[in-house]
Amino acid sequence: MSELATICGVGTTKFGKQPETPARELAWEAVSEAILDAAITPGQIDAVFAGTVFGDPGVATRSLQQLGISGVPIITIENACASSTSAFHEGCASISSGRYETVLAFGIETMTASFSGAISPIPSDPEGAQGFAMPALYGMSAARYQHEFGVTDEQLAAVSVKNHGHGRHNARAQHQKAPTIDEVLESPVISSPLTLLQCCSIADAAAAAVLRPPGTPGGVRVLSSSLKSGGLWDQRSELVWGWQIVADTARAAYEEAGVSALDIDVFEVHDAFTIGEIVTTEALGLAELGAGGRLVESGHTTLGGNQPVNPSGGLLSRGHPLGATGLAQIAEIVWQLRGDAGPRQVPDARLGVVETMGGGTAGVDGNACVVTVLETPASRNAISPA
Amino acid sequence: MQRAGSTENAPMPADPRPEFVKEGEKYLLVGGRCRSCGLVSAYVPPICSCGQAGQVQSCEFGPGGTVFSSTVLHIPVPERPPPTCLAYVDVDDGPRILAHVDLGLGVAPLPGDQVFLAGRNSLGDPIVKFDQKTRLVGTGVNDE
Repeated sequence: MSELATICGVGTTKFGKQPETPARELAWEAVSEAILDAAITPGQIDAVFAGTVFGDPGVATRSLQQLGISGVPIITIENACASSTSAFHEGCASISSGRYETVLAFGIETMTASFSGAISPIPSDPEGAQGFAMPALYGMSAARYQHEFGVTDEQLAAVSVKNHGHGRHNARAQHQKAPTIDEVLESPVISSPLTLLQCCSIADAAAAAVLRPPGTPGGVRVLSSSLKSGGLWDQRSELVWGWQIVADTARAAYEEAGVSALDIDVFEVHDAFTIGEIVTTEALGLAELGAGGRLVESGHTTLGGNQPVNPSGGLLSRGHPLGATGLAQIAEIVWQLRGDAGPRQVPDARLGVVETMGGGTAGVDGNACVVTVLETPASRNAISPA
Repeated sequence: MQRAGSTENAPMPADPRPEFVKEGEKYLLVGGRCRSCGLVSAYVPPICSCGQAGQVQSCEFGPGGTVFSSTVLHIPVPERPPPTCLAYVDVDDGPRILAHVDLGLGVAPLPGDQVFLAGRNSLGDPIVKFDQKTRLVGTGVNDE
């Protein structure tokens, strides 16, 4: 297997509504943890790739200077919900090409500075100008799946129950209470058929990862990283929004890593809404088209199942700080592959996948999708059972 | 989505929503069709996605369409108090557009239901109307 880069350290803040905490303090917490975890000094960082969506201009530079990270290239990327996994992707590429030796990938978002509830639609977008909020996009996918494949309300709710159940073991998650199927379905309808407990909350948070060259001892190996924007999603598209871009991105990532979906031990995927996880698990190859609802019901993707999905609790439990979410997913898989995930540890996890999906543009199958395949550190790999 | 910061005094962006014309009692969607590959869209770009330049000609579509999916949104969005019904509609021989559904009959359309274009509502949003009597039967989910 090839290796693009090594993840030598990760860090995140807690996730939640924390408007009293300035962005710089969120950044300090996540970046400091990553730097200490990697056992490097800030002065060793050659470049920063940052992801944010609603962050003020200059938020990355402003946040990092007092940690001694200055005088190096700091490049900020906006790619909707996949902003910080796009930053991670570019960081890996810059390491792999030999351009830099040590890169900080960093994501930050203070959602409560911009919103009190759902994200307002963009008025310059043809659909956003109609008041088309993201819950409605996913509501339509769920309605289509119910019509076409018979996905049930209970199967949709099962995603929420599973991920909130996982989140009970994640002290950094915003929500740590697991509802029942009935509680999920009896919560207020947000966009039919999706109810409140099937929609992620907004959050303020930061997350970071330190990347070093392939072969760096003790680090998690980045076997592949694929980034795509969506093709046209129009009257020719029989699949719901977002299915094809995830499938295409995953195929590229699997091929680059030389693995298949069956080889993967643990996944972190973009479950901003319950239907999102159902669609994504199909597109990642865990289930046939239309079988994602039955997959979650089967327990296959629950902790203790064969291929746990979102052991962190996912976006549904953690909350969704758009620009920080991708690197939070990366951090979770790194902890899983190092055996550091505590009560939510997937036993003997050797291969992990992160998938992040970003949307918000009319007529295309997503602004961006990133899929990356990560492998346990070489030393741990050598002593783990086959 | 909206950028952070005050937009109080900012001018409204140019209206990006699809345009319609009224012919008699019918509303038609104004869009484009590529003379080279036949691809239709709600716009007339200078280059088609097939790569041909200058081949997309303006044309009209409708007035009928088929619902790809729909949802009833129960949270407030700017200027649109809930509930609002939205649908992706595949306009007959034309593009897929997002439209608001006139819920005059109190029933949201299902995938496969037939609708017809009804111009724009008071906010300028594309709107479609749905006659429940046209709902196809025998397709399982749609059955009464």
